[in-house]
Amino acid sequence: MARKKKTDMLQGMLDLLILRSLRGGPLNGWDIMQRIQIVSGDVFRVIPGSLYPALHRLEAGGLVKAEWGASDNNRRAKFYKMTAAGKKQLDAEWETWKRFSGAVELILRDA
Amino acid sequence: MLSRLKTALRALLRRTLVERELDEELRHHIEQQIEQNVRLGMSPEEARDAARKAFGGVEQAKERSRDARGLRWIEELWQDLRYGLRMLRRKPGFTAAAVISLALGIGANSTVFTFLNAILIRPLPYPEPERIVNLWERASGSTGTNPVLPLNFVEWRDRARSFEAITLTQSFPLNAATQEGAEQLSNLSVTSEFFRVFGVAPALGRAFTAEETKAGGDRGVIIISYDFWQRRFAGDPGVIGKTLLFGSSQQTRPVIGVMPAGFRLPSLTPDVYTLMSLDRNNPNSIGGRSFVCYGRLKPNVGLASAQAEMSVIASQLSNQYPADKGWDVSVFGLQQHLVNEARSTLPILMSVTAMVLLIACANLAGLLMTNGVGRRNELAVRAALGASRSRIVRQLVVESFLLSAIGGAAGLLLGVWSARLLLFLSKDAVTFGRMDEVSPDLNVLGFTLAISALTALLFGLPPAWRISRMDLQTILKGYGRGSAGDQSHNRFRGVLIIGEVALAVILLAGAGLLLRSFSHLLQVSLGFQPEQTLTMRLFLSGNEERRASLADQITQKVETLPSVRAAGIIHTLPTSGFNSGTGFYFDGEPEPEPSKLLNTEFSVISQGYFAAMGIPLLQGRPFGPQDRRGGLRAVIVNQAFLKKYFPQGDAIGRRIVVVTVNKAPTEIVGVVGDVRYNRMTAEPQPTVFLLHSQTPRYISYLVVRSTADPMTLTSAIRREIQEIDKTQAIAAIKTMEQYLSESVARPRLYAILLAVFAGLALLLAIIGLYGLMAYTVSQRTHEIGIRMALGCLRRDIFKLVVGRGLTLALVGMSVGVVGALALTRALTGLLFGVKPTDPVTFAGVLSLIALVSLLACYLPARRATKVDPMIALRNE
Repeated sequence: MARKKKTDMLQGMLDLLILRSLRGGPLNGWDIMQRIQIVSGDVFRVIPGSLYPALHRLEAGGLVKAEWGASDNNRRAKFYKMTAAGKKQLDAEWETWKRFSGAVELILRDA
Repeated sequence: MLSRLKTALRALLRRTLVERELDEELRHHIEQQIEQNVRLGMSPEEARDAARKAFGGVEQAKERSRDARGLRWIEELWQDLRYGLRMLRRKPGFTAAAVISLALGIGANSTVFTFLNAILIRPLPYPEPERIVNLWERASGSTGTNPVLPLNFVEWRDRARSFEAITLTQSFPLNAATQEGAEQLSNLSVTSEFFRVFGVAPALGRAFTAEETKAGGDRGVIIISYDFWQRRFAGDPGVIGKTLLFGSSQQTRPVIGVMPAGFRLPSLTPDVYTLMSLDRNNPNSIGGRSFVCYGRLKPNVGLASAQAEMSVIASQLSNQYPADKGWDVSVFGLQQHLVNEARSTLPILMSVTAMVLLIACANLAGLLMTNGVGRRNELAVRAALGASRSRIVRQLVVESFLLSAIGGAAGLLLGVWSARLLLFLSKDAVTFGRMDEVSPDLNVLGFTLAISALTALLFGLPPAWRISRMDLQTILKGYGRGSAGDQSHNRFRGVLIIGEVALAVILLAGAGLLLRSFSHLLQVSLGFQPEQTLTMRLFLSGNEERRASLADQITQKVETLPSVRAAGIIHTLPTSGFNSGTGFYFDGEPEPEPSKLLNTEFSVISQGYFAAMGIPLLQGRPFGPQDRRGGLRAVIVNQAFLKKYFPQGDAIGRRIVVVTVNKAPTEIVGVVGDVRYNRMTAEPQPTVFLLHSQTPRYISYLVVRSTADPMTLTSAIRREIQEIDKTQAIAAIKTMEQYLSESVARPRLYAILLAVFAGLALLLAIIGLYGLMAYTVSQRTHEIGIRMALGCLRRDIFKLVVGRGLTLALVGMSVGVVGALALTRALTGLLFGVKPTDPVTFAGVLSLIALVSLLACYLPARRATKVDPMIALRNE
């Protein structure tokens, strides 16, 4: 699996958000973007130009699986589903994020 | 990662599908956005614009998605390959020129490498062949190899510690009876250690045992070769115990073994193997220095230490036996002995082909460079669209690899085909000993691939690098024409052409020298008349009486045939340049020590020999009926002998004692002209001719002079001989002209080879020159138009272009002449009657190149004169 460097933190965060959204079941790209926006209270707006490369990267890495199906308005769309490996990665990323944000908070509070 | 690989493969193999999916996915997103916008109250057009803006760059998103898939470089490489192939197809002229140049260059190299492979790299087909050696005797002070004395072999076998086994062998033919009469078989007589030395055992039956080799053992047994088994016994598995009937002695010998298929010695393929009977107590009873000794070194013993030990033993023997005084021993590796000859000529061949390859690569470099320059615009656009420099370079390198691959494949095929042709041409010429093992294999394939790849890198990379560094702005705006970059490009190509011409000069000079040398060779006077003369080998058996009378009967009977003018016998055809040597002294003087004997060569002949060969009698008389068996021995000498030993010219009637003839005095009765049996021998040596009936031999060659095509006489002669002796067979049937042709076959082969390669080189160089001239003219049409408009005559334009081309050629010729004068020295060993700096050859070469260069410039110059100034000026 790809090693996480400091510069990959942002990329890792996006992966985390995507995987988290898929916890409830398969979604297509549009739905994922909507969900992240809504659930984060409009704080995070994912740019499509970053979202789709991220999705394809996850797919190539075997963390999500894609299937073509019909969206709610009967259009053909590509749906992404989390795999077992993806689940494991999600948990690992979550742990890393908790540690990261915890540390930042400690430092900020200390000052 | 397996899934990553799967994705990449899918993207590669089902590209259109994957692209469509990507497009559809992104489009779906945009449509969802549009729908949302409409629901939020925008009009359809507003919704669409807003959606697009919100999405951002679609193409960029697609590209990043493609990158995110991973292993993108595979896809890109595939793209590059397909694009490269398309580009090559679109420019058939460029592709053809490049591929042909490469194929010729690489083909030449792979041809020679195929030979190198068979001779030097592929080992001999025996177990641990590097441990098999030849032991030769060598007269102290000389460098030649001399056959071995059986006494010495026995001593070596006892004293030497360096060898696992050594064996003594001798090759001589045998007459075997067949249904129709007799067949002459090639035979190798060996001691029992032979099988151990070569690490071979009979595939059927058994080998000779040590018991059998000793005196008194059963020596009648024979082992036959695989091919002979197939031919004579039809591969019958029950052949062991079957017999063959040999010669006049009517001896039936049982077959006790069959050698494995394909077994042979490096320069011999015996039909049968017979047992050499060696009596320890009297080894020289089987002959003098006329045997060949092979040995197998012990595992830890090297060639040098074996040689050292044998030299010590040789000096011990030299002190112990008078016959060995002044003799030393040489130990040569079996492979090395074969290769000595190749070693002197193959380096020359390889450097020649390397030069041809260099010229081909120079053409390729020039072509690639020009091609790249012509694609400036295309590459600039690609760069503007975001292709990185490394990507562009990669594209160009892939293209040159493609060219190399195609050229290399063509070169390999060409190499295979021309190696076969070469093999056919050189059958007579070169006895490397393993010519029939010449065939390409993995080594050759690897070699050609390596050269191709190297060419691609060396000559594809620099042009690619230069192109990618050009300022794109300037190119796109069209300011690139006639810039400094252009100039240096043209100058570089000019330098390449100069180099090519120089190399062509060197090769042509070499070829010219060899061709002149060869024609000199053909003019050497022989001293006899080779036309319409047939020769064949006889193996006479029985006691002296019988052999003498057989020989006489045969020659007399053959002479009675209608188209036969004369027939004679000689004990060995000295057509290979070597004769039998012996010593003599003047009758009446005391017999000197062996090392003080006077040297002469000798031949044992019958009466009709001189007539059959067309050798003129200069003084005295020929052999006649008065020279009977048991009478005073008569000898005839040649002019060289006369000049050396009887400078006053008074040889007739004098007596000499020839050591090889049982030390009985002989009288000189005649003098004949000197003969060169093959054109390559230096000076005819003093030779003494002895009469066969007085000193009969076993092996004899029958020489027949006919009035018609000699080969047609073969069956008639065979019939006559069979009438005299049913068990007598003939073999090695060849005309004297064939021998002569063979003797010059090697110089002829080298001359032809070098001429072919030099011609190739010239062709490639001229193609290069023509290409450069044509390109220059087409690039400078604008300038030509201006000149014409300003009053320049067409004639002057013509002279301008031709002048440019000829200047390049002249510079190349000058450099080439300097190089040739230095390098042709390497050919001295192959030249005959011609100096390496022969001015006639050089003058001819230079004129040829000047003429051909003129021709090459002619077409482009003519095209230049056809430029219409109006059109040329308007086009810029």
